[in-house]
Amino acid sequence: MVEQVAHKRADDSDLILQLEGISKRYGGVKALSQVDFSCKKGSIHAILGENGAGKSTLIKIISGVVQPTEGTLKVAGQVQQFASPTQASEYGVVCIFQELSLIPDLSVADNICITDPPRNRFGLIDKAEQIRVATDLLARVNCADVNPRELVKNLPLSRRQMVEIAKALGRKPKLLILDEATSALSAADVEKVYEILRGLREEGLTMLYISHRMHEIEELADRLSVFRNGEHIETFDKGARSNDEIIEMMIGREYSSVFPPKPTHDDKLLTVLEVENLSWDGRLNNVSLTLGEGEIIGLGGLDGQGQHEILLALFGVLRGYEGKIKLHGKEVAMGSPKQAKSDGSIALIPEDRKTEGLMLPMSIQDNISIATLDQLTKGLIIDKSAEAAKIAEMIEKMSIKIGNVDDAVATLSGGNQQKVVIAKWLMTGAKIVLLDDPTRGIDVGTKQELYQLFRDLADSGHSIILYSTDYDELIGCCDRVSIFYQGEIIRELTGDEINETNIVAASLNMEISGQQAGTMP
Amino acid sequence: MKSWIENIDKPIKYALGFIVLVLIVGNIYTLINLGTMPFFSPNYLLQQLQVASFLGLIATGMMVVILLGHIDLSVPWTLTCAAMTATAVGGDGAMLAGLTAGLIIGLINGIGVAFLRVPSMIFTLGVNTVVQGLMIVHTGGYAPQTASTPIMNFLATGYIAGIPTALFVWAAIGGLIIFMLNRTPMGRYLYAMGNREVAAYLSGVNTRLILIAAFVICSLCAAMAGILLAGYSAKAYQGMGDLYLLPAIAAVVIGGTNILGGKGTLAGTVVGAILIVLLQSVLSVMQMPEAGRQIIYGSVIIGMLLVYGRAEKKES
Repeated sequence: MVEQVAHKRADDSDLILQLEGISKRYGGVKALSQVDFSCKKGSIHAILGENGAGKSTLIKIISGVVQPTEGTLKVAGQVQQFASPTQASEYGVVCIFQELSLIPDLSVADNICITDPPRNRFGLIDKAEQIRVATDLLARVNCADVNPRELVKNLPLSRRQMVEIAKALGRKPKLLILDEATSALSAADVEKVYEILRGLREEGLTMLYISHRMHEIEELADRLSVFRNGEHIETFDKGARSNDEIIEMMIGREYSSVFPPKPTHDDKLLTVLEVENLSWDGRLNNVSLTLGEGEIIGLGGLDGQGQHEILLALFGVLRGYEGKIKLHGKEVAMGSPKQAKSDGSIALIPEDRKTEGLMLPMSIQDNISIATLDQLTKGLIIDKSAEAAKIAEMIEKMSIKIGNVDDAVATLSGGNQQKVVIAKWLMTGAKIVLLDDPTRGIDVGTKQELYQLFRDLADSGHSIILYSTDYDELIGCCDRVSIFYQGEIIRELTGDEINETNIVAASLNMEISGQQAGTMP
Repeated sequence: MKSWIENIDKPIKYALGFIVLVLIVGNIYTLINLGTMPFFSPNYLLQQLQVASFLGLIATGMMVVILLGHIDLSVPWTLTCAAMTATAVGGDGAMLAGLTAGLIIGLINGIGVAFLRVPSMIFTLGVNTVVQGLMIVHTGGYAPQTASTPIMNFLATGYIAGIPTALFVWAAIGGLIIFMLNRTPMGRYLYAMGNREVAAYLSGVNTRLILIAAFVICSLCAAMAGILLAGYSAKAYQGMGDLYLLPAIAAVVIGGTNILGGKGTLAGTVVGAILIVLLQSVLSVMQMPEAGRQIIYGSVIIGMLLVYGRAEKKES
């Protein structure tokens, strides 16, 4: 690190971007702490890190979407404080975000020129000039065949991505940030994007490139920086570190034994749930898995590789899936959450508890009993005393810390809110519990309670599928882990194979050389 | 322990206060100009309650839909259609025929919103226009010559023990809705869906069924109001429902129901309906010109909502 600083001072003029002591806090959560980072002119600089390592916060700060809590940011040697992305782009910092920002019902030319359309002498948009500008930019990204008058919605996804790059180039960037710019593209299309990016590098443009695809980075980047837990770990030239070393840097931390011990299952668990060759809308491809009674299986991999979709499919939310879902050996066509609940005894703890799991303004008791009302109804009427008794029992069992059951559930802490969601489902008598990243944004103490609860549930005959973006949880909680990559299960890990090295390597679809801890006897 | 006054919803308190204020102002006016205080007489108040029961019935159904965060703009012609069907069929089956017409329109609204996923504001507006067209075909564009049946007349204009029968009808249906909202799963699902439809759906609630049921309830209430109004005028006529749509929505909102759904009580809607009827009546007795009446009426609705908005922000 000392060397690096010295190096940086030696040729500051060579740096397009410098961050010094940048920190960002969201409330009590530190997203970035004391980051020093710099980026050389005319290079493609890749940023690596796990989910939550601080990559997105970093690019948001650089592109002016959020402001740092402390530290200074220099662009081309000048200290800048960007109040907005518009201001950042005035200084040549332009970002292409993960989700495409094009407006489908406008033409390609309209989209490319949307931030600052050329105007005629009456101050109206000069359509002819706009077409000319768009044609030039499209030619720069090897898309001369795209008609600038075409509506964006009529273009295939790969073309839209090119239009997005052309739009960014129209703002005359000196530093172009690409956040997962290729995540939606197929391999062939990705190759075209590479060509364009390499061409732009020849023209002297600097690019910050964020991707989870390791081979992309190998192919494209000149320099790499690794982030972990909001800290900048190291920056090095391509080839200076091996894949194993890079993964080591990304994992880095130790994980403490907050997890209850795993039981040793005998081989023959009663199978409660089977999925055979499930596909859906290109986002799930031939996914097969089995779930045994009393088992906790984990879904791993990077964000958005189909883990979320498989849970939704099992819960009857996805329409028109292909493949089979079997409960206790019998095929069922999952059509609705209601059916999943009543026929399958399946529960889903959704990803976003505030919008999908809870009715925040409603009371704690209304939230807990909402899924069980049909069981609590005598004739037409809700049996309020039975309801109150059951709710009290669940609150006690889950040790939910509440003031009054009539209080709005919004008044509870995140951990207790999540317990309310889980209580709601346990009250239905669900036997198969699908957990969609259940500990996100929850404090460590409550997490520990939840891990214990998951294990207790499994021991009492429940079966659990746990999707988590936190590798530690997969390692600590799960009897088996299936790693998803682009809608497929590319690896299944059991027993001692479940370790960080294997999970990270499989998540990036990367081969690991040498020591594969504990795979072979 | 809070006193019972503190336990009343804020909007209901404000609306009740405003009702008293309207009556006092009206009485002062008549005392000065005519030397009488007609607005405190039981006869006047009972008569106003009778008028309020038509609006109140419509608002009751409207509230159920608004609790879901939806709206039913087909009420005017649902009401007219039910009234015309009832008078056209006549005899013992008159009311049943009118209610059936309401049921069918409610089903169409519900299916359109639940399955076709058309925004309710657009879909019900379309249904309203279609029903209007059908009724013009039915009547040939002329005032229908059919008359209401004696039982309809009795329900709308009769008295039981000195109290207007229409009030009993309103109370009975209101009681059913209160029971539904407070004691049955359907009621709980309505509030849950109004707060967060996704969360309710992911809790295994059959959200489509609830949507359809809500629109059916709304249309049935409008149909019942149409039947009563036909009894009140002894006939059904074109445009008889046109005056009721906006006041019904206003009554619901003045009663404290969140227009975006999820929150509200029927008691509030009842008070809201009474407030609107009284305000209109007192203003007309005060011989306020039509323009002035409209201005005051509109200002009151906006003013009440501003006050509620403030009160809620302070609470949270």
